[in-house]
Amino acid sequence: MTLRVGIDFGTSNSGVAAYDGRSVHLLPVDPHSAMPGVIKTILYITRDQRPYVGQEAVELYYRQNVNRLRRFVKKWAGEIDVRGSDMHYVHDVYTFVDELSPGRLLQYIKTALRSPGYQGTQIFDRYYTLGEIITLYLHELKRRAEDLLHEKIGGVVLGRPVQFHSDPELDRRAEETLRQAALEAGFAQVSFELEPVAAALDYEQGLARPQTSMIFDFGGGTLDITIMRLGDPAHRQVYASRGLGIAGSDFDRAIIEKRLLTHFGLGRASLSPELQELVHAVADWSALPDLSTPPVRLRLEKAILESGAPARLKALQALIFNDLAFSFYNAVETAKINLSSQGVAVIGLKEKDLDLWELYTRRQFETDIMEHRQAVEQLVLEAVAAAGLEPPQVDAVVKTGGSSNIPAFGALLEGLFGAERVRSSDAFSSVTAGLAIRAMQG
Amino acid sequence: MLTPEKIEEWLKEAEERPGSAVLLIRYIANRLNELSARNEELLADNIALRLGRKVEEYESRIANLEYQLDLLKRQAAAPGGAPGQAAGPAQAPAQASWVVVLYTPQGQLLKAGLPAVLEEGAAAQLPGPIDPQAPPGLLLVGEHEELLLIYDSGRSLTLPAASLPAAHPLDWGRASLFEPRGIEALAAVVPVGRMALADFAIQASRRGCLKKLPESFFESCVAKDFVGSGVKLPADQTFGLSLCGKADQMVLVSQGGFVAAASVERLPFTIEEALRLATNDHLVAAFPLAGRDTLLFVTNNGKAVQRDASWLDPGLSAKSAGQALLTAARRGAGMRMVGAAAVTPEDWGLALLSDGSLNLYRLGDLLARGALLPADSSLEVVAFSVMA
Repeated sequence: MTLRVGIDFGTSNSGVAAYDGRSVHLLPVDPHSAMPGVIKTILYITRDQRPYVGQEAVELYYRQNVNRLRRFVKKWAGEIDVRGSDMHYVHDVYTFVDELSPGRLLQYIKTALRSPGYQGTQIFDRYYTLGEIITLYLHELKRRAEDLLHEKIGGVVLGRPVQFHSDPELDRRAEETLRQAALEAGFAQVSFELEPVAAALDYEQGLARPQTSMIFDFGGGTLDITIMRLGDPAHRQVYASRGLGIAGSDFDRAIIEKRLLTHFGLGRASLSPELQELVHAVADWSALPDLSTPPVRLRLEKAILESGAPARLKALQALIFNDLAFSFYNAVETAKINLSSQGVAVIGLKEKDLDLWELYTRRQFETDIMEHRQAVEQLVLEAVAAAGLEPPQVDAVVKTGGSSNIPAFGALLEGLFGAERVRSSDAFSSVTAGLAIRAMQG
Repeated sequence: MLTPEKIEEWLKEAEERPGSAVLLIRYIANRLNELSARNEELLADNIALRLGRKVEEYESRIANLEYQLDLLKRQAAAPGGAPGQAAGPAQAPAQASWVVVLYTPQGQLLKAGLPAVLEEGAAAQLPGPIDPQAPPGLLLVGEHEELLLIYDSGRSLTLPAASLPAAHPLDWGRASLFEPRGIEALAAVVPVGRMALADFAIQASRRGCLKKLPESFFESCVAKDFVGSGVKLPADQTFGLSLCGKADQMVLVSQGGFVAAASVERLPFTIEEALRLATNDHLVAAFPLAGRDTLLFVTNNGKAVQRDASWLDPGLSAKSAGQALLTAARRGAGMRMVGAAAVTPEDWGLALLSDGSLNLYRLGDLLARGALLPADSSLEVVAFSVMA
């Protein structure tokens, strides 16, 4: 019989699990991590095209990059044909390449599935399509799982959000990209299950009698809600599913935009619009690494000498040119996570030329994500209505995913359904466990 | 940046969740503590700036860097290239710009171009005979080399080898004088042109003590004309100084034929005994391996003893008596070491004999022959130096 596993390919974290018919075994695929059963969805590709994943990738990235030397060379990238009514000329396009760059870090890979415009990326001398990037990651997960199980894995059930995209064609295309990537990674059979349904299957293991449950799966990239009848495997029924592209990374962005940009000069009247634009880019994790070019460095150095905010611009320069972006976003995420268990946290980062310290309260955080909270409330009510139910008819609300631990959303659910009906499942592994159960059931 | 609005938000958090108040105070107190320490540092910097000390420090650092740059430029501009690369396998050093430097504890420095030494025959001879117990120091260096003169008081002095006038014929009466002060004696003259490329300077004393100085610190010592004596016992004396890399190995050789090796990484920054010597013994060579795998030991009766670098036992503990190269019988017969170095067959070595004559040897030939002097020679080797 072919061994089948469940893989939760998440936006921030992933996991692999196998089910033997009695219990779920979450595989410790990241031995370097504090939680070996949860692996960061991070891929680091070195100059010699060797891929590293999870905590190993993070550690290698830090070791090779932070405060490293750079050497930019101008390289011809192509040409642009410019045609006017009576003229035509060709314009050469150049790009700056850092010759000393030791590797490239890729995170939020799953988010790219939601962006139809994203086809892939050039990593040193090789172009990787999005599918190839995902293949590298899944292949490594498969290899590690097989090492742990001492057996070849033939099939996989992959989790997927309720919707990658609101356009059905783009949604289908995203799933197809993921399927092809899994096949390329060596899985002979690939099937999908909705992530909240998978979490429901895990939750169902502990149910003594049938009930109507709402799965509130709030992770790093999306919020997925499914309302279904559970407890009797023969009569499972999905009443409604809804999805929203809001999650952990959006909250991080909100924190940066509303609280941290002033540390890099935002709001200083002496800053030119060009520099203000540069400061705004700090909130965009995907844009920041691309800003480390000689023209930007020159512009910043000039501004440090001339503007009224030299220390803040020096901090911005350090953030961009000392490869501190990843550390910075991690500091923000860590503070956000800490606010789930305490009322106050510090967003801090101390490096050469950068001393960031922001005391941040849960109250401030809740104010900063108010807009998102309203959208979430709207989606929950929509899902309940689509199921043809009223909130009191939902027997249990099951929270899963890292963002579901944010107290504001717990309070929101308790307000709508009553505190006694809101349950927590394992935030990082219930989807993986449910996928393993689905894999076993075929 | 602290704004009234921010403080107001903190207060509201404390009102809403009293448990947060403790954390708020703790975080703010920690930050205040950190900032006050930083403030103190900045105030100290500010005072230094106002008193001009900072300017002096930067000026001294700039001068030091300029000096280093000048040294490297001189090395790069040398006709034979960098020292150590000048003499190719088939090229006699005479064709390159090499000089012989002899020095005495009284501060006399005598320089002669190597071609002149080789061509002048009898003229390339110090008025002898030489006292084997107190021979002059001998050095073979590139003419663009920078020399560091170390006095036994720890005082030092730098001068370019090129600035010394060449003496023809070799006569102490023509020597340049760098007179010691008071009861000082000139203890060593070492080439330091490649100082900027080294990781450490290792100072050795006659009684087998070593001290490691990081290159940047050594630079500042050189700039201040004081590298220290490197001794901790009154009976001891400065012996020499070597530049080396951090992964290098230092080799010490005593007159009695005892050898010790120590990895530079494990050497102390304070003066420590590295080779325990008998009361009548002292060092005759202290040098880094510098990637070479042949060791050459020269004895007073003209023997050239060869050992592979792997012969060295780096596991010997500090303060050990070292590995014995000479048997007790030979030591009893008066045989002793006069020089040693890590070499390659392409290197050249210069020996000063007891009659005052200077003899040049291609080390490949010398290693094959095993002797500097004919078997029936009545002369003794009193000093030996390999190209630095």
